[in-house]
Amino acid sequence: MLLKRQIPLMIVIGVGLLTLFGNFINNESIRDFVDNDATQWFDIIASFAIFLGALNMLKLQLIKIIKKQKNWQYSILAVAGFAFAIFAGFFYRGANFITIADIQDGQLAIVSGIIAEELNETNPYDIKTKIMGSQDEYEIDKLFMTEGNAKLLMEKLTPFVGVINLKSKPWGAHVQTKGSLFYWMFINMITPLGATMFALLAFFVASASYRAFRIRNFEATLLLVAGIILMLGRVPIGNLIPWWVVSIMVMFGIGAIAAPFIKERKILLGIVGGGIIIFIISGTIMGWNQTPPALLSIPIIQDWIFAFPAMAGSRALMIGIALGIVATSFRIIIGLDKSVLGG
Amino acid sequence: MNNKVIMWSVLFLILLGLYILGEGMIFVEGIRVKFAAILLVSITIYYYIDRARSGEEIYLRTIPGLKALEEAVGRATEMGKSVLFVPGISDLDQVETITGLNILGHVAEHTAKYEASLNVPVSKSIVMEAARDICKESYLKSGRPDLYSDDMVHYISDEQFAYAAGVNGIMEREKPAACFYLGKFYAESLILAETGNSIGAIQIAGTGSMAQIPFFVTACDYTLIGEEFFTASAYLSKKPELLGSIKGQDIVKLMVMATMVLTVVLNGLFQAGWINFDILSYL
Repeated sequence: MLLKRQIPLMIVIGVGLLTLFGNFINNESIRDFVDNDATQWFDIIASFAIFLGALNMLKLQLIKIIKKQKNWQYSILAVAGFAFAIFAGFFYRGANFITIADIQDGQLAIVSGIIAEELNETNPYDIKTKIMGSQDEYEIDKLFMTEGNAKLLMEKLTPFVGVINLKSKPWGAHVQTKGSLFYWMFINMITPLGATMFALLAFFVASASYRAFRIRNFEATLLLVAGIILMLGRVPIGNLIPWWVVSIMVMFGIGAIAAPFIKERKILLGIVGGGIIIFIISGTIMGWNQTPPALLSIPIIQDWIFAFPAMAGSRALMIGIALGIVATSFRIIIGLDKSVLGG
Repeated sequence: MNNKVIMWSVLFLILLGLYILGEGMIFVEGIRVKFAAILLVSITIYYYIDRARSGEEIYLRTIPGLKALEEAVGRATEMGKSVLFVPGISDLDQVETITGLNILGHVAEHTAKYEASLNVPVSKSIVMEAARDICKESYLKSGRPDLYSDDMVHYISDEQFAYAAGVNGIMEREKPAACFYLGKFYAESLILAETGNSIGAIQIAGTGSMAQIPFFVTACDYTLIGEEFFTASAYLSKKPELLGSIKGQDIVKLMVMATMVLTVVLNGLFQAGWINFDILSYL
């Protein structure tokens, strides 16, 4: 109990208080701990913990394959993907590159030509300038996934250069280096798969919007109207909608709000129709064709909705969330909420 | 005014005074208001925790989303289907994840009680370990440790969309009757919630991620909005000290509202040239 509850709790309280008050204490090392060390410690612990997750994932998928549970075929893909990522990260680097040195002046043009052809450069003179400008040895600006591919180029260059070496980018850095197997896997497999999932969002937004915008009550109608104005106001066509169209929309909106309170349909029609006529006549007299009022401009209404009612709502939510986070953090720091230690 | 209020007020003034005296030497200069705000918030919350501990009744309004937790687990049991709990894609350094795990404890108690199967796919290994401890404890508390298995909490991937794809796969294959999304979410929120909606699951969501709240409101049956989500553990546990902290939080909110109104008025008067006191220079 002491090791599982009391000591972790003391660490939580100690580090919590230090992090909270560290911001106010005029001490460089405390502030450095709060800003850098503490977060780095967390990153290190989290990095080690990944093994737990990876082993758990592997264990469950292997059990599924061995026991031939339902849909076990997908687990083969998961295990194969895992093995491939481990192979690309820890065992096969790729990212090979060639360096050349000790080139005779007469051979420089030939070497530049071969390299330019390999790099699909039209002007070998640029390569020649770079070779002449290099201090020690010149690194050819191309990374090879396999040594075999690199050796093909080396065979072409060997007769014309004094020193030629095949090197690889260092371990660790290779995962972010173009030309490594891991980088290839990331760009050609993980990124497109992630993008595919992200793209699904467009369809889900459409179906969710359809449900949200269905006119069921006053709030849903308000949401629909605000949504339409925002959508129109954010595209170029919103600027082209004339004031009289907006005024008709405004009158229809007023009619929709007034409808439940006016039982006589003819009166309602008269109000809406009369309002539209008054709007159009007074607009024409006041020259709204040249200078339409801001109230009848979709982009301006859109800006107003975004800057005031929407912003006010989101700020209120934000304050609530921030206070919730503060109260929860406070409960954890003073050791009142121990759930983080397991129940 | 009771003695405790006076005592805490005096403590607040002493600590603030010490800070002002030590400014530049022991304490950092120029963040006096920030320090006072943190002190005031902490003392207010602690004061109400103390009051709740000494037996004061705290009223909490009904939160439909939290009330529906048990109903959702019961529904899953009746249908003979599983319960899916998604604690978000962030690590344990996020308060939302901790809050989500708190609620997981209560959901696990219900699944243990009703003998429903629980599935908790996670995206971070540390969250996996914490969630396992929490579930184990809940099953033990409900008197059904035999129903608990480590594999009910399992790791999928750290990668955002790989995780979303994994959870979607589980939903499509297992068709859980109840889905809970309680934690920190990003763009995957709507992907998960819409898939849950398409399989007809009862869905309860809660998050502190501002941008994701509208998506959850649209696609889920119940959504814990804003601070509702953070009150969940107090609401469900009914522990007086936790309920006290919620009351303290509400009083702080009241103080924030009063400060905002006062700031607007004072700034308005300053802008109009009626007073020479610029409140914004102090904040």
